[in-house]
Amino acid sequence: MKSKIVFAVLFFFVLINFSTSVSQEIQNPKSKIQIHNPWVRVAAQGANTALFFVIENTGEKPDTLISAESKIADIVEVHETYAKENDMMGMREVKFVAVPSKSKVEFKPRSLHVMLIDVVKDLRIGDKIHVVLTFKHAGKIKVKAVVQEMPIMGGMKH
Amino acid sequence: MISFYDKILQTISYFLVVKKSISGYRVFFNKLACSTMKKIIFITIGIFVFFACGEKFEVIEDFGKEKYKLINQNGAEVIFPDLTKGKTAIVGYIFTNCPDICPLTTNNMRLIQERLKKEKVEGVNFVSISFDPENDKPDVLKKFAEIRNLDLSNWTFLTGQKLVIDSVIKKAGVVAVPGDSTIYPDGRKIYYFVHTDRIQLVDDEGRVRKNYPGSKINVDEIVGDIKSLVD
Repeated sequence: MKSKIVFAVLFFFVLINFSTSVSQEIQNPKSKIQIHNPWVRVAAQGANTALFFVIENTGEKPDTLISAESKIADIVEVHETYAKENDMMGMREVKFVAVPSKSKVEFKPRSLHVMLIDVVKDLRIGDKIHVVLTFKHAGKIKVKAVVQEMPIMGGMKH
Repeated sequence: MISFYDKILQTISYFLVVKKSISGYRVFFNKLACSTMKKIIFITIGIFVFFACGEKFEVIEDFGKEKYKLINQNGAEVIFPDLTKGKTAIVGYIFTNCPDICPLTTNNMRLIQERLKKEKVEGVNFVSISFDPENDKPDVLKKFAEIRNLDLSNWTFLTGQKLVIDSVIKKAGVVAVPGDSTIYPDGRKIYYFVHTDRIQLVDDEGRVRKNYPGSKINVDEIVGDIKSLVD
């Protein structure tokens, strides 16, 4: 009986430690750059889709998003949607996104997004993907995003 | 083109002018005992009010006499707008390589469909027309709908020959021109369209009655418009 209890307690601690290490792998809470509410839009294999999130720079220095990469798509680029006259909408690549100190930059529908071109598998609601965002100063930040059709509602999650 | 609201204003102005005229020339009318003239004036006003109130939405474009041979998501040949004739239709214009605006437009159409279903409003069809037929083959459109769990019981996705598609979108007032592109390491090129962000309200005779920016519609507004057109 005792050994079972000891085993259960040990298993519990191992589980806690494992889950903590997984979350740390995704984002370093000490980083001055935090990524909130990442979500990616539903897409069929071979199609394109977009990843959205909020970048928060809690530091005293500005930083810059310079690239994004993921195994989920053949090509990953930072894009922005723009409006023209007569309800015309277009999209273009942006080479970098500045994130001023003590500020937030929102990647959202009809605006900035990470473009996932030619996704390698179907992305259905509830699926999760991994993306690495590279900042000039903060370096590489791993992001785990959930597949949604619409933005995640509610407050920001840290 | 005179809008519904312009007509209302015209009607009110007309009333005011006529009223002033009548009071100003009452003596003249009495003297001439011109009752026939009075009748003509009031009949004219009546006809004007009847037409102003009866036509809530102007006719922007008329698909009614056209017969575009297109292909639905199942690969079957259909005639647009015949497939929606007799029903009010919500028509959206998309391309499936679009990661942002077109999925928003599609999702907005889904929200309208769900709302109409909830409110038990019947007699409405949904149509999504691709302006990128070279990429959007029927199976691509089918997968686009399937992965979003769209209810296709009253929703059709259409593609077709480029020349036909070009005619449809031109008639619809939709512009789609290839814009920026991404080039694969092997040299392949993906192009993105700069395009009109549009959903249209089409009546049961195939006439376009109102345009909306597809990716940012007000669902309450469009559902209200549909109801007034269906009623």
